[in-house]
Amino acid sequence: MNIAGQNEACLRLPENLTVRAIIPVREDMLTFIDAHETATIELADEVQVDISFIQIIEAARVYASTAGKQITLAQPASGALLETLRRSGFLEGMSDDDAKFWLHQGKIQ
Amino acid sequence: MSFPDPIAVFRTEAAELLEQIEAGLLDLNVNLGDKDQVDAVFRGLHTLKGSGAMFGFEALAAFTHHCETAFDRVRKGEVPATHALVTAVLEAKDHMRALVETPSGDHEAMSEALLVNLRRAVDGGGDAATAPAAAPPAQTLYKIRFSLPQNAMANGTNPLPLLDELRDLGTCRIVADRSGIPSLDELVPTDLHISWDVELLTAEPRSAIDDVFIFVMDDMELTVEEIAAQAQAPAVIAPASVAAAPVAAAAVVSAAAASAPAPVDAKTAKANENVRVPAEKLDELMDRVGELVIAQSRLSQLAGGSGDLTLRAVSEDVERLSGELRDTMMVLRMVPVTHLFSRFRRLVHDLANETGKRIELITEGETTEVDKSVIERLADPLVHLVRNSCDHGLETADERLATGKTEAGHIHLSARQQAGEVIITIKDDGRGINKDRVRAKAESSGLIAANASLTDQELYQLIFQPGFSTASEVTNLSGRGVGMDVVKRTIDALRGTINVVSRPGEGSEISLAIPLTLAIIDGLLVRVGNARYVIPLSAVEECLELSVEEDMRSRGRSFISLRDSLVPFLRLRDLFRTGTKPDQFQKVVVISTGSERVGLVVDQIIGDHQTVIKGMSKLHHDVATFSGATILGDGDVALILDVGHLVAEGQQQEAHLRAAG
Repeated sequence: MNIAGQNEACLRLPENLTVRAIIPVREDMLTFIDAHETATIELADEVQVDISFIQIIEAARVYASTAGKQITLAQPASGALLETLRRSGFLEGMSDDDAKFWLHQGKIQ
Repeated sequence: MSFPDPIAVFRTEAAELLEQIEAGLLDLNVNLGDKDQVDAVFRGLHTLKGSGAMFGFEALAAFTHHCETAFDRVRKGEVPATHALVTAVLEAKDHMRALVETPSGDHEAMSEALLVNLRRAVDGGGDAATAPAAAPPAQTLYKIRFSLPQNAMANGTNPLPLLDELRDLGTCRIVADRSGIPSLDELVPTDLHISWDVELLTAEPRSAIDDVFIFVMDDMELTVEEIAAQAQAPAVIAPASVAAAPVAAAAVVSAAAASAPAPVDAKTAKANENVRVPAEKLDELMDRVGELVIAQSRLSQLAGGSGDLTLRAVSEDVERLSGELRDTMMVLRMVPVTHLFSRFRRLVHDLANETGKRIELITEGETTEVDKSVIERLADPLVHLVRNSCDHGLETADERLATGKTEAGHIHLSARQQAGEVIITIKDDGRGINKDRVRAKAESSGLIAANASLTDQELYQLIFQPGFSTASEVTNLSGRGVGMDVVKRTIDALRGTINVVSRPGEGSEISLAIPLTLAIIDGLLVRVGNARYVIPLSAVEECLELSVEEDMRSRGRSFISLRDSLVPFLRLRDLFRTGTKPDQFQKVVVISTGSERVGLVVDQIIGDHQTVIKGMSKLHHDVATFSGATILGDGDVALILDVGHLVAEGQQQEAHLRAAG
């Protein structure tokens, strides 16, 4: 975990972000969001993801929004994450907000 | 908040799936045309593959994929189901179990060998007549909405392959509905809260959509609307056209979709009524209940000696509640013998193949419930007995036909409850036990004296002696004399008894009588000299007073006359060498196992006692007279009498006295 500052910080997640390893990720994210106004999530280059990770990020967005905090991805979705978003139907009908969050875009390309 | 370990959950689910697959294969082997079984096996393999991949069991997923493909071809009528295919997949199933248990092991060579076998079985079956290629049908636009059960991911169902399969059916637009995802602080991360809306333009029939969900159909919510049939498929489904379509065809709902919610709701309700609990938690709870029963016993004793009426009332309440808790706990630990019996279907199938005999297994009383720890320990003895029946008991088809029997031999495996015991019977219609050979073998190995007088039962019991085997030929299955003594040891350890009945040419029947539980029993507390002992109440037939006159009369013979029959009795005071004088009014407790009875002479019958069974220490493990110990309310230890051993001893004494004339 890399902390850049009290109110803005970056949480680096492990490579395995599948249902097999997702349980501690929830705890880490919850603690991290609670501790910072703006939380940036950073993924490993060789990250493994499945739908449980997308769900946990969406849940984190709901939580941050309710708590008046902000959560962002350090990098736009690419590689395995982008493929999982595509396969799971998150890219279809994506709102501008979602596109901004996941793809760092104003609109879906 | 604690969450179940997904890998452990997967292993449990995989074990159940493998059992289902095996049961399906064995049923299919009996009726190769049974499409339901083909579907069931396919579903099991499909689920196992998907779950395995999701939980990182890549080798399992890759291997299972081949078996699944084989069964998919059977489903589609491309290849027939054959005995060879069933056998190949059964062997593959055993390998899958190894892949689940030791995923990091070196399984490649075995995998390859089994897949060669599988391919041979599939190719050898020949192609089923395939329908001539039909003209491509018109494409249909379906609007599908589905959500998987909340525990789908935890149970190993990965939604992504399902979505991929839908895409494979045609032109597809899939939109995830994330409105059900809760806030992070409320999320159980292994639960699934996403549902999907899908528009699918496909030439495949509606059943192809159902097939995608075939292995989760029972627990999911699925609605499929047929929007419109089109002669030609558009290159892409435009969102606008999809949005308009439901209005045009909202009334066209398939019968399956319309009726789907009811069974789903019923399933959900059923699922909610059951909770999966790890076995060790039940054991832990049982230990606590045991301690509570002992504490309650102490409380009762204190209250009994007190004049405080309130204390007595509270003590009675605690006694009632702890009794109810004990009964509830016992019910929780009871499991049907179905699982125990189901494994013998496979065993008999394999044994039939190995021996070249035709063997049919008939099971009865699968719903009979027994304490789970008893079930676990019964498995090995039953394997030995069934193996023995198949190998030694049943004749070959030719031998059977020559003696006017049916070509197929029969093994009956049955279970029933009887007075605090479960009776498990293994019966075959084979050649029966050859008494002369048993006697000859026993005499030659020095187990009995030459021409010793033995009842049939005593003679048959010799087959359970270590190293005893009358088989002239040692086979892979049995004949080494190893196994039957294991049966005896295990049944003894379970405080059970073995009864053997055999008729030459007609077959043999071995009955195992096992206590329903190993944890807490109702006992009869007695005093012998200054010590107290517990006799399992289920074995007690009646209690009598042994008058001084009768005692004097029977001295040296130790028989009492009980309703025109002589029953041998043992003076526990003598047996335990208490060195005390007998009470003036001694009592005889008549106990029995099956048809054998014996009386136990005690000084006093104290009363019934809820007995929490504690194991004997290692120092006492070879003391056959006692099967365990228990702690009494005043903190004293009482030993629990081993009924089977005492009855055998009494019968032996009777035989000696009879022999002495």
